[in-house]
Amino acid sequence: MSNDQKFQQNVQDYLEGRATPEQFLQLNEQLRSDPAARRAFREMLNLDSALMETTKEIPRETVEAEAAYHEESCPRTELEPQQQQVSASTIAKSGNRAWGSLILLIAASLLVVVGMLTWFAESPEFAIVEYAAGAQGLSAGMTLGAESHFIQTGTVQLVTRRGTRIVIEAPALFYFESAQRLQLKHGRLAADVPLEAHGFTVITPTGQAIDLGTKFGVDMPEAGEAEIHVFQGEVVAQSIEGGNLQNLRDSQAFRLQSAVGTPSSFRSGAFIQPGEVDSLSAALQAGQPKRSQLALQELRDDPNLIALLDFEDGQKQPGKYRSVQGRWPGSQAAEFVNVGDHMKLDVGGERLWSQLTLAAWVRLDHLGEPYHSLLHTDGWEDTKKGQVHWMVTRLTTMRLALRDNKLAPDERPNEGFPDSQTSVLPEQGRWVHLAAVYDADKKTVRFYFNGQFDSESRLSQAFPARLGPAQIGNWNTNDRTLSGRIDEMLILGRTMSDAEMEHLFAAGNPYR
Amino acid sequence: MWRASDMLMSETSRNARFVSEFACHEEAIRAYVRRLIPSRSDCDDILQEVAMVLWEKFDEFHEGGNFRSWAFGFARYKVLSWIRDNGRSRLVLDSDVVALIADESVEEDSYLEMQRLAFRSCFEKLPSHQRSLMANAYRPDMKIQEVAAESGRSTAGFYQWLYRMRQMLLECVQRQLASEANP
Repeated sequence: MSNDQKFQQNVQDYLEGRATPEQFLQLNEQLRSDPAARRAFREMLNLDSALMETTKEIPRETVEAEAAYHEESCPRTELEPQQQQVSASTIAKSGNRAWGSLILLIAASLLVVVGMLTWFAESPEFAIVEYAAGAQGLSAGMTLGAESHFIQTGTVQLVTRRGTRIVIEAPALFYFESAQRLQLKHGRLAADVPLEAHGFTVITPTGQAIDLGTKFGVDMPEAGEAEIHVFQGEVVAQSIEGGNLQNLRDSQAFRLQSAVGTPSSFRSGAFIQPGEVDSLSAALQAGQPKRSQLALQELRDDPNLIALLDFEDGQKQPGKYRSVQGRWPGSQAAEFVNVGDHMKLDVGGERLWSQLTLAAWVRLDHLGEPYHSLLHTDGWEDTKKGQVHWMVTRLTTMRLALRDNKLAPDERPNEGFPDSQTSVLPEQGRWVHLAAVYDADKKTVRFYFNGQFDSESRLSQAFPARLGPAQIGNWNTNDRTLSGRIDEMLILGRTMSDAEMEHLFAAGNPYR
Repeated sequence: MWRASDMLMSETSRNARFVSEFACHEEAIRAYVRRLIPSRSDCDDILQEVAMVLWEKFDEFHEGGNFRSWAFGFARYKVLSWIRDNGRSRLVLDSDVVALIADESVEEDSYLEMQRLAFRSCFEKLPSHQRSLMANAYRPDMKIQEVAAESGRSTAGFYQWLYRMRQMLLECVQRQLASEANP
């Protein structure tokens, strides 16, 4: 017996509880010293565990029919992947249960024939990849069968045989049970289901969503509960363990908890939509990430840089928020979902800054809260003239408020603060670049959307800006939830020109 | 910021949140324990103990955190204490070897999960009588001699059959994952 065979036999005997002390000795030695052996051992034990799980679901049956069984009736080729639809064998299994041993006997005699038919059958193709933006292992034109897919990075757009368009964002683990049933173990997807595909179902570990003619999204975090968001139309949501069916309509969201679910706040912008993936993919092909990296490097060398948060250095900023994919495949961004989610920041020290540029890539999930905090320094005190609050308001404008600053008398009042003229709304659901440039000497605040100058507010009283302890996505004394993601926040102790701002946007833009 | 409503919410939904988290990761936690413990029945017993500890400590788990790696930490501890306590009366692997496999299991968690998913479709491709025969062999209340007899084989022959079936399934899983990695 070769060493390898001996090892295999030892592992098998170990699995059956039949290994002798000598075999244990050999196993210990080999596992201790040989990483490949440990890997093989882990894989075999993992398989054993999967067998434990799966075989639990199979009811006890007598195997009298096994007299007709010969090992040769199960050629290895039967186990080739993608030869048989999972649903077909599931039906066969329940059929056996219903008809009993007579059917089993007949089935056993037919097995050889069935095996051959299976071998010649066409592979089931449930969906095809339309676009793949940085999703390793998946590329445009690939067909997907019943096999599982894990995407660590990127975004992929699929279309099923019945025309359902699905966008799945990494990290995600999923597989099709059929063209109408998709298992999403974790990840985030948006689906656009045409009439012909009504009934398309997304199944998650905490429940399922059944389409009734719809555009909807499913967010299944690696830990936690799935959320269903209906953009348009109607969906039935059901939690695991016999939870009641819940009908959801336009702009409703539901969290699938065990047995009972709870309504949740609607976050349409949290999902990459069909139609967005091609422009993400085009930007990748055009080398945008590299341009962005170079632009960031220039900023890091800027002597006036106060802070540049790109979330890529592996150091997690303190606070309560989710780490999600940023603008580039595999990059990181901070996501704020629940009331009170926040990121803490303490930059700028005690110093007063007569010039300040604030800029960030933002993906807003929805608007409508009184304030969405981009950056709020702690407190709002008389003694801290010039302290900075940067936000999106209920009027969907961008606001940069500094303590005790005053608008010039002829400015539009806007609740007394400098606000942008343009609404943030038109770009909802995509990454947008928001920026404000403050100059205390010139007494101006200038706003920019996607690199373009929007408007300037003039001030009659302008204190130098004061930073220090602050929160992104919230404020310490009030909930000013930013519902959405932030990627690459820049705080610069000087003003940026229009041309610089345009360059900053163009270099960091994830779309083409 | 502390809010009374948060407090109330956490009191009333603790049970549901735990059940949901645990259900979501039970299979992965069982597989983790299985990789470290020689017998299936001991694995199930330890899993129950792990579930109890997780339930007791659930207040220390931060929402939004990674439940699975949190659970693996407790499972690792439970397994190593079990190995320590049973090392004299039972045949077990040395604890340094178990610790090595435990650590590497965590690093490989995603891949191992993919293997279990791929396994499902491989297993479904087996003829139903082979599936039920394997199920019987894995039933905790069944004696392997009886399963072997039912299948019309000697016990030794049945062990050999199990050996070959596992090898075949593992190869199927590896082929499937390889074909996914290299389209």
